[in-house]
Amino acid sequence: MTEAPAEFLAPRRRFQVLRRLARHRSFRIGFVIVVLLTLAAIFAPLITSFDPTAMRARIRFRPPQEAYWFGTDNFGRDVFTRCLYGARLSLTIGLGVALLSGVVGTAAGIVSAQFRRLDAMIMRLMDGLMAFPAIILAIGLAAAMGPNIGSLIVALSVAYIPRTARIVRASALVVRELEFVDAARVSGASSLRIIWKHLLPNCMGPLLVQLTFVFAYAILAEAALSFLGIGPPPPAPSWGNIIAEGRDQAVDAWWIMFFPGLAISLATLGMNLLGDGLRDVLDPRLKVET
Amino acid sequence: MRMLRRLLLRLGQAIPVILVVAVLAFFLMHLLPGDPAAVIAGPEAGAEAVERIRRQLGLDRSIPEQLLVWLWHLAQGDFGTSIIHNQSVLQALADRMPVTASLTLVAFAMTIPIGIVLGVAAAKFRNTWVDSAVMLMALIGVSVPGFWIAILSVILFSVTLGWLPASGYVPLSEGVWPWLRALIQPAAMLALFQIGFLARMARSATLDVLDQDYIRTARAKGVSEWRTIAKHAFRNTLIPVVTTTGIILSLLMGGSVVIEQVFAMPGVGRLIVQAILTRDYPMVQGTLLALAFLFVAINLMVDIVYTWVDPRVRYD
Amino acid sequence: MVNPRRTALLLGTALVAGGLALASGPAMAQKKGGSLVYANVSAVGTMDPHVAAAVVDLETIHHVYEGLVEMGEDYRAAPMLASKIDISPDGRTFTFSLRKGVKFANGKEMTAADVIASFERYKKVSPNAPALGDVAGMETPDPYTFVIKLNKPNSLFVEVMKTPTYSFAILPAEQKDKPARDPDLVGIGPYVVSEWARDSHLVLKRNDNYVADESAKGPDGYAGKKTAFLDSIRYNSVPEANTRVAALQTGGADFIGALPGDVAKRLKGRTDISVLSVIPFCQATFISHAKNFTNRSVRQAVSMLIDSEEMMEAAGQVWDRNPSLMFKPSYYFSDVGAAMYDQHSVDKAKALLKAGNYAGQKVVLETNTNYAYMRDSSQVLVEQMKKAGINVELKMVDWTTNVGDLSKGTGGWDMTITGLCSGPLLGPQQWRLSLAFAQNPDDPVVTEGYAKMFATTDAAERKKIWMGIEKYFIEEGYMMKVADIADLRGMNDKFVGIKPYYMQRFWDVWKK
Repeated sequence: MTEAPAEFLAPRRRFQVLRRLARHRSFRIGFVIVVLLTLAAIFAPLITSFDPTAMRARIRFRPPQEAYWFGTDNFGRDVFTRCLYGARLSLTIGLGVALLSGVVGTAAGIVSAQFRRLDAMIMRLMDGLMAFPAIILAIGLAAAMGPNIGSLIVALSVAYIPRTARIVRASALVVRELEFVDAARVSGASSLRIIWKHLLPNCMGPLLVQLTFVFAYAILAEAALSFLGIGPPPPAPSWGNIIAEGRDQAVDAWWIMFFPGLAISLATLGMNLLGDGLRDVLDPRLKVET
Repeated sequence: MRMLRRLLLRLGQAIPVILVVAVLAFFLMHLLPGDPAAVIAGPEAGAEAVERIRRQLGLDRSIPEQLLVWLWHLAQGDFGTSIIHNQSVLQALADRMPVTASLTLVAFAMTIPIGIVLGVAAAKFRNTWVDSAVMLMALIGVSVPGFWIAILSVILFSVTLGWLPASGYVPLSEGVWPWLRALIQPAAMLALFQIGFLARMARSATLDVLDQDYIRTARAKGVSEWRTIAKHAFRNTLIPVVTTTGIILSLLMGGSVVIEQVFAMPGVGRLIVQAILTRDYPMVQGTLLALAFLFVAINLMVDIVYTWVDPRVRYD
Repeated sequence: MVNPRRTALLLGTALVAGGLALASGPAMAQKKGGSLVYANVSAVGTMDPHVAAAVVDLETIHHVYEGLVEMGEDYRAAPMLASKIDISPDGRTFTFSLRKGVKFANGKEMTAADVIASFERYKKVSPNAPALGDVAGMETPDPYTFVIKLNKPNSLFVEVMKTPTYSFAILPAEQKDKPARDPDLVGIGPYVVSEWARDSHLVLKRNDNYVADESAKGPDGYAGKKTAFLDSIRYNSVPEANTRVAALQTGGADFIGALPGDVAKRLKGRTDISVLSVIPFCQATFISHAKNFTNRSVRQAVSMLIDSEEMMEAAGQVWDRNPSLMFKPSYYFSDVGAAMYDQHSVDKAKALLKAGNYAGQKVVLETNTNYAYMRDSSQVLVEQMKKAGINVELKMVDWTTNVGDLSKGTGGWDMTITGLCSGPLLGPQQWRLSLAFAQNPDDPVVTEGYAKMFATTDAAERKKIWMGIEKYFIEEGYMMKVADIADLRGMNDKFVGIKPYYMQRFWDVWKK
C-alpha cells in the first residue's frame, strides 16, 4: 500500500496499460461488443432504411424474416430498426449516468479526502443516500422530474453517486498520505494543484472500473424503470420501453420483447467484461465492489 | 466496550442523516405532478369531487403545515396513514415485511452456497473450461434484465411446463412446502444477479488465498488441495462475502421491487413503488424512513459479524 | 407499475361478443359450495360504497352492499331495498317503501332510520353528494317508509340514485359518523368480507343473514333475487397481465380480468377456458382543453384525423365503431356525431388548417404509459397530425399525473385522451361534472342545457337537449370519439352461471 503509485497518466505507463489491456481476453471481448454496439447506434440510419417510429398498419406482427430481421411490432414498426435506434437512447443513458455520477462522485470524494472538515458532512450525506436501494431512489426521482431522458440520467446518477464518491475518497486518502504528496504540500503547492497533479490521476484506475459497472447498471435500471412505466417516453425507442410496450405479446409475438432484452444483456455483458479487464489491469487490488 | 461505543456513535450519526433524507423525501414527493385525490376520484370525476377528497385527506393545507404535522406525529411514533389504502403505514409495513423478508431470505439462501461454490470451483480450476463456463454464467447472471427473464421464466416454467405457480405468496403459516414452492421461482430470478455477483467475488478471493504462502506450504506437505481450500480458502473467502452482505441485501431489496411486481407478491418493494406512483405521500415517506433504519441496522450487524469472522479487524 | 384500473374504469356494459360458450343453466344442477379465485389488475382500495369509484372496488362492494335502487340488467333503475317508489307530480317529493325483514350482515333489521343516517353520511363524505343535493327535508313516517323532499324538481333523482359508482348503499345507522373510506364492513348483500389483506387479497364469504328479494324472479343486473352458491370468493391483485393469464392457465386463478387483447389470444385452444368480452365497457375519447386549445379550426382538423381502426388495432383492443358519446344500449344514444366520426382524412384536416390560418402553433398531446389503448392511440394520432403538418408535441406521463392534469386542467396540455365508462352508459346525469373536465365550467351551452334537462319531466325532450349538447361538444372539437372498447376476461369453465356484465357478479354462480 505504501509503494509510490505509478502516475496513471504518465506516457510510459499509459502505453503499458494499453498493451496489457490489449492482451486481456475479457477486455478484448467486452471492447469488441461495446464498440460494435456503439457503432450500430451511431450509424443506425445507414444500417437500416426504416424509420423507427413510422407506422405501417399492413405489416403488423410479422415474425422475423428476411425483410424484418427481428420482426415487426403492433404498429408495424421494424423491431430491428427500433433496437438500433434504441441503442442510441439506452447507451446515451448509460454514458450520461456514468459521466454525471463520475464527475459529481469524484468531486465529492476528492473534496472529502482533501478538505477533511467537509468529510464528515459529505460522507454522512452519501450514507443517507445509500440507505435506500438505488432503484427506489431512482424511481422516486424519475417520477418527480417527469419522463424525459435528462431527468432519467439525473435520477440514476444520484443513485450511483455515493458509491463512486466512496471509491474515489478511499483511493485519494491513500495517495494523500504518501511522501511525495506530503513533500508537495510542504513545498507550498496549493490544494487545487495537489488535487489536479496527484489525487485525481491516481483515482482514475478505480474510478474508470467503477464507471464501467455504473454504465452497465444504468442500462439495466432504464429497463426496470420502463417496466414500471416511468422510463424514457415512447414513441422514441429505448431498449427498456420496447420491452415494456411489447410484453403483452410475450408469447404470440415474442420477438418484440425478446430481441431488445437480448440487446440489453449483450450491452451489459460487454460493459462488465470491459470492467473486469480494466480492473485486472488498472487496479489489481480492487475486488468486485459496487 | 470500545466497539459498543463505536456502534452507538455510528447509530447516532445515522439518525440526523436519515431525518434529513426523510425531509428531502417529503419535499420530493410533494414536487411530483399528479394528485392522490385525483387518483381516488378517477378520471370521470370533476374538479369539484377531487377538491372534496383533498379536503378529506388534509391535502388542502399548506406544504410546510403538512410537513410539521407529519414530523410532529413522527416524534410520537406515528408514521402516518396511507392515503390510498387507508391503513397505518406501520401496519402496512408489518403486513408486507414477511413477504419481502421471505423472498429476500430464500434468494439469499440460494445465493450464498451457489455463489461461493461456483466461485471457488472457478478458482480451483482457473484458466480451464470450468472457469470460463462458470464465469460466463456469472456474467450472464449480472447482465440480463430481471423482469425480462422473469416474464420468460413464467412462460416456460409455469405455463409451458406447469412446474411452479405463476404468482402469489403463501404465508409460512400454511406450511413450509407451499410457502417455499411459491417462492422458488421469484427467489431464483432475484438470486440470479446476486449469484453472478458473488461468484465473481468468491473467485478472486479464493485466487488470492491460493497464492498465499501457507497454502503453498500445505500443498507441499501433501495435504490435498481440496482440504486446503476447505480449511483456509473458504474461511478467507467468507470475509469479503460478509462485508458485501449489506450490499447484497440492498441489491436484493432493490431487485425485489421488480420481481414482486411480476409475480404479484404483496411485499414492501411493490408497496413503495405503488405508493410513489399513486402519490401516497405518507406511505412513501414512512416506508423510506423505515427502510433507512433497517439498512443502518443491517450494516451495523454486518460490522459486528465482520469483527467476529476476521479477528484482525479491530475498531480504532 | 401503477394500477391504472384501480381508478380508471368505472363501468361498461354487458353484451356478449362472440366466442363465448356458457354452459346452459337448466341442464346443470345448481348447488352450494366451492370457492372461486378472481385475479385482477389491482387490489381493492376502499370498501366504502359512498366514496368508491374504482371498478375493482365496486365489484366487491356490490357483493356486500345494496341500495334502495340498483341498476338492472337493462341499466335502468330497478328497486332493490325499496319495494316501491312514489314520485309526486311536481317531481319534488319521493316516497320509498322499504322491503320488510331485510337484515344487515350483523343480523339487525334495516329500517328507515338506517336510510336517513346513510343519506346524511352520503351527503358528508361522497364526492357525488352534489348530484343528490338540494334536499329540503327527509322524514320517516313509519319504520318502513322514507320520504325525501327536494327544493327544485329533479326528474332524474332516482336515476342518479342507481349509480353503481359512489353507490348510495344503506349502512347501519351507527355508521353515520364514520369518516370517508373507513366505515365498518357491515352491509346488506349476499356476501360478507371475511379477510382483507390490503394491496394483496380480499376474501368474501356467504352471508347467512342475507334476505333475498323473493318478489323478483332471479338476478337482474345489480338488483333482483340474488343467491350465493359459492362459499367464498377470493380477489387477488395481480398487476402484470402475463402473470394473470399464466395464473388462469395453471389453475392459480379461476377468473381473471383486464386481459389485454394480445394476451387473450394465448387462451385460444384451451377447451376448459373461455374468454368473455364485455363491450362496450369504456370509450376511448380525445379531449381538448377549452382554455389552452383555443383555435377551433385546428381542433376540428385534429378530429378529422382520428382513425379508429388504426388506433384500436395497434393497441390490440377488441373494439366497436360508435360515433356517439353514449353507448348503444343507452336511451341517449344517437348519431349526431356521425358526420365527424372516424374520418381519417389528412386532406380534410389540411383544408381546415388552411381555413383557420394555422401558423405552426404547437399542440401538446398528453397521454400516459399505463394504458395501452391510450398510449397507442395517442402515438397513432401524433403520426397523423405530423402528416397534416401540425406542430405536435407528445407528452407521455404516468397515469397519476395524467388523471390529475385531466381533472384539474393543469400540466399545459392542449389535448389528452381518456377512457369514459360509466357516463356513456348511465346517462347525462352522471356527466354533469365530467363534461366540465378542464373545460370552461361556465360554458352556457352546458350549464343552461343541464338546467333544462333536470327540470323537464319529458324524457324525449331530455334526450333532445342532450343531443344538442353532444353535437356541440363534437362539432367544436372538444371531444373526439375513437371507439367503444371491450374489457376481456378469462374464466375457467368449471363455473356455471357467470354472465358478462360490466362489473363482474358472482352470485347465482356455482361450481360444476
